Amino acid sequence: MKNFLLHSCILLSLLAWTGCIREEVPDDTPVNNFETLWRIIDTRYCFHDYKEQEGCLPWNDAYAKYRPRVHDGMTPAQLFEVLCDMLSELRDGHVNLYSASDVGRYWSWHEDYPANFSDSLQRAYLGTDYRIAGGLYYKILDDNIGYVYYGSFSSGIGEGNLDEVMHYLRLCDGLIMDVRDNSGGTLTYAERLAARFTNEKRLVGYIAHKTGTGHNDFSTPEAEYLEPSNGIRWQKKTVVLTNRSCYSATNTFVRDMRECPLVTVMGDRTGGGSGLPFSSELPNGWSVRFSACPMYDANMQQIEFGIEPDIHVSLTSEDTSRGKDTMIETARDFLKR
Amino acid sequence: MLCLIPPHAQARQDMPLPESRHTTHATLFGIGRSSIYETYLSPSTYTGPHLSFLHETLRKTHWKGGRVTTQGVFDGFFSYASNRAGNSNEMAGMLNYTHGWHYNWTVAGKLRLMAGAEAHAALGAIYHNRNSNNPVQAKAGIDIGATFMAIYPFHIKKVPFTARYQASLPLLGGMFSPQYGQSYYEMSLGNYDHNICFTHPGNAPSMRHFLTLDFPVAGLTFRAGYLCDIRQSRVNGLQSHIWNHSFMIGYVKHFSFVKRKEPQHRPFIL
Repeated sequence: MKNFLLHSCILLSLLAWTGCIREEVPDDTPVNNFETLWRIIDTRYCFHDYKEQEGCLPWNDAYAKYRPRVHDGMTPAQLFEVLCDMLSELRDGHVNLYSASDVGRYWSWHEDYPANFSDSLQRAYLGTDYRIAGGLYYKILDDNIGYVYYGSFSSGIGEGNLDEVMHYLRLCDGLIMDVRDNSGGTLTYAERLAARFTNEKRLVGYIAHKTGTGHNDFSTPEAEYLEPSNGIRWQKKTVVLTNRSCYSATNTFVRDMRECPLVTVMGDRTGGGSGLPFSSELPNGWSVRFSACPMYDANMQQIEFGIEPDIHVSLTSEDTSRGKDTMIETARDFLKR
Repeated sequence: MLCLIPPHAQARQDMPLPESRHTTHATLFGIGRSSIYETYLSPSTYTGPHLSFLHETLRKTHWKGGRVTTQGVFDGFFSYASNRAGNSNEMAGMLNYTHGWHYNWTVAGKLRLMAGAEAHAALGAIYHNRNSNNPVQAKAGIDIGATFMAIYPFHIKKVPFTARYQASLPLLGGMFSPQYGQSYYEMSLGNYDHNICFTHPGNAPSMRHFLTLDFPVAGLTFRAGYLCDIRQSRVNGLQSHIWNHSFMIGYVKHFSFVKRKEPQHRPFIL
């Protein structure tokens, strides 16, 4: 009995020594909110070194630049502005700060470039009698080219939707897969759609994750493969239309599609966004989103700043004035060759 | 387990009970407060109310001359917690099963001490309502540990009561955890990265305290108690705690399984 009590005391002492695991976040003050945000990005953001190579301000320098602008007497609006300015140094569309009144964002990846998409022009092609399957709008154009528009990977598609679309378009001479202005959504839908364009398992890229707080603490990148769908697969030429607003999951979709043999990517460079975003928060409750897991292409190259198309095409003012979408017209000509 | 026998039975506790096993079932429901800290989801602590339940089975065995008791506890909780700013929520739910084996000593007359080992399995999740690709943290683990129980029956104005205190301390085990910045999407691709972690008091200092009082009302036995459940971990660079403080109340039932060797001519009354 004495031994038992002695051992119990030793165990409880050991437990007390190891202590409680508790929050390290300090009180809700502007300075503490700044420090917390800087530390979250410092320890969990996944592109620090790459962004530095691309000319972004090193994160330690960002601290030195913005910390003097923060003091405990500032208003929430002033703090929000400073924090958003600091985050914009990362030039990352996946980095956002959310308060009740505003969303801090960096959207230069598409705002600084031609839109290369007009829904009024697109309406001339889709008309009013197009079909809708899940998030897909589709139609057979006059020259027997299939046209499919997928505006958001947040709109779901099922295997049944894809079977129906593929079956409806099966007699077409080619297919235009238009993902312009698709700013992303669920990766599963992007993969499900891309799986209709390959007959064999293909290496499409790599994915890694952070293993610690250091800027270079990453896991060994693991290969990502595109598996062919068990449903109806497209066996003819396909053009994927892209613009600068193709971001995040759409960027990954384009990455996957360009590895498929009969697929040509046409249009403008995609917007990028290859880091899988995670979320965290500040002591004042503001939510922050940031790129956490880097994804690469099949050659282990970064696609954070977008993917170049195989054929560059932009909307021209002449075509636009005639009610023609230059990119759709170029894709139709390409598929008819 | 004498103290868990109903009052009217204690007068007969010296009766020989060959080939019998005493079993006590207790079902308790509780309400309390949770503190949830999970750095995979947020660096902030979330606090809020929870509902819980606990079903316990205590059974006297024949081992070591009847000095070994087994205990099975199935319990769970659901918590809805908020951050300090009150603009975000986490929902947490856990199910636990614990099976223990205790050796009994009687000291100082009525005080009964029990000590032994227990195996514990847990399964649950914490969901964060506004995160993007890290909205949930799955919780799964097994461990073995030490347990200690003290039981003391007493009377107040001839009304019998039974007080009990139990402490449990996980010592060795394993738990699931994503790697520091690993997404569940990547895990769904089959990429393993130390997702099963060895746990010990150094990286998972957890404990459980359970204080109960049994009392009779209208011929039935009721149990009121306080449960303090501290589950913590520090693995793969991620820190986590779920601290639950619950006030519980429920009822107790007693059974005695008797193996008859020959027809009994008088009913056995426990």
